[in-house]
Amino acid sequence: MVSDSTSEIEKQTSWTKKNHVREAVWGYLLITPNFLIILLFTVIPVFISLYMSLTDWNILSKPNFIGFENYEKILVDKVAQETFFNTFYFTVISVPINVIITLLLAVLLNQKIRGITFFRTAFYLPVISASVAVSLMFMWVLANNGLLNQMLGSVGLDPIRWLTDPKIALNSIIGVTIWKGLGLNMIIFLAALQDIPKELLEAAAIDGANRIQQFVKITVPLLSPVIFFVTVTGVIGSFQSFDLVYNMTRGGPGHSTTVIGYYIWRQAFDYLHMGYGSALAYVVFIAILIFTIIQWFLRKRWVYSED
Amino acid sequence: MSNKSRISRNESIQIQIIKTISITILVFGAITMIIPFIWSVITSLKSPENVFGHSAFWIQFPPDFSAYKEIWNRVPLLLYAGNTLKVALIVTFGQLATSSLAGFAFARLKFPGREKLFFIYIATMMVPGMILLIPNFVVMKYLGAINSHWALILTSIGSAFGTFLMRQFFLSFPSELEDAAKLDGCNPLMFYWYILLPNSKAILTTLGLMAFQGIWNDFQWPLIVLNSESKRTLQLGLSYLMSEYYTDWTLLMAGAILTLLPIIILFFTVQKYFVQSFKFTGLKG
Repeated sequence: MVSDSTSEIEKQTSWTKKNHVREAVWGYLLITPNFLIILLFTVIPVFISLYMSLTDWNILSKPNFIGFENYEKILVDKVAQETFFNTFYFTVISVPINVIITLLLAVLLNQKIRGITFFRTAFYLPVISASVAVSLMFMWVLANNGLLNQMLGSVGLDPIRWLTDPKIALNSIIGVTIWKGLGLNMIIFLAALQDIPKELLEAAAIDGANRIQQFVKITVPLLSPVIFFVTVTGVIGSFQSFDLVYNMTRGGPGHSTTVIGYYIWRQAFDYLHMGYGSALAYVVFIAILIFTIIQWFLRKRWVYSED
Repeated sequence: MSNKSRISRNESIQIQIIKTISITILVFGAITMIIPFIWSVITSLKSPENVFGHSAFWIQFPPDFSAYKEIWNRVPLLLYAGNTLKVALIVTFGQLATSSLAGFAFARLKFPGREKLFFIYIATMMVPGMILLIPNFVVMKYLGAINSHWALILTSIGSAFGTFLMRQFFLSFPSELEDAAKLDGCNPLMFYWYILLPNSKAILTTLGLMAFQGIWNDFQWPLIVLNSESKRTLQLGLSYLMSEYYTDWTLLMAGAILTLLPIIILFFTVQKYFVQSFKFTGLKG
């Protein structure tokens, strides 16, 4: 009944007084400002980038088409390979640690405990803080005579060269990255946890499941779509990390903290190798695409779905 | 009876233990989160000779504000703050306008190709920002926008994510509302302006906050497109300060604190919307 009368009204009085053309014109008009920006600065650049990766353009002279030379160069560029390895290491260490800690934190915060606002606020602060300021603070915390080494010294331990030892520097950057990102995934997990019906856990408790069993058998499977999502975005984010490396180490010492995001910037905007930089960026783009697609298919195996 | 009460007593002890462990872990975590901030504040309020050594851990009394005075002489912080605020406000309101209009059109108006265009929107959300840096630099060079704030404004004033978010939100309005508006002779823009927007304040605030914070904290793109000192944003200025006064820790910490303060104050005033924006970031990916 209701829907009938609604459609009656719709027939009689549309925006367009039966003039669909006018409604369409409104539609196109209203999306135009936004769409132009997306078209100009996201859609077209994907193709410009592909073209540029096939040239030797260096801004100063005209671009020459050189086919796949840039891509071949990646295969013999030792620094690029080191960079890819660093990025891989960065991702494999930082993403799982982040997911495990944030999941744990969210579960802990999901209880009825006092001071919850304080805890949440503490974990949010690094998320809202700009990466440059965070870099600065941690350069001081991790300096040779900074907080951490002064603390080590006060208990009689030798100082560690957190940012200047090539074996340690990348791990320090990873540590800061994890520190900065905890609050974000924590709130995402927390929101998901609050959606889990309490009756499910209570029913399991009545059946004799202890808390750990409840967590493993009920909470984790129900959260698996979120875990999946957080992992994928975490990987994509870590493939692109730049700010902390730029500000804290400039990729050094040596190339020990040069991740791909930094290397691309260096090639393109320091050496003006726009073509080579584009080729590197395209390799990462394709890697992210393949990774996402693989995850999407694996998802069916390990992500719990309601049907 | 007695058996039952014993079980519940055991259980409540177990709950107490779990709570104690939880709080211990959380307190430890929270301290790890906060200490770098506190340590920075403490350092920034020290006289240079007290930064290292035994006095390093202690709060200096009376505090020495000289770093906060000195920093204005070394860098034009107000200019940088003004640049950043200008760009951030233009982007915030621009993005709200373009995204809500486009979101409205996708949600409420029928036009040929609508679904395909919307699919393009969703697809662009998957494009990693890194691949856009070089071509966008080229586009900006072509537009003559290098070393101009336009380069920062143009790339962010439209948003696929914002459009997606606003569309989802506008879809949730009952169609009766639209019918009533039509009966009253509203055109689409009037319906958007008088009915949808006034009822979307919370989501607009959240989206605006995300845009504002994104521009305020952005570093890589300004680094690429801005080169003269007078155009710098706050983050760029802070980064250059770092490379110029490499180990002047009291000065550097004062700089870090001053640039963090506006966002932290904003955070405490509208915390609810910030938390909401985190959840949206979750949606964004």
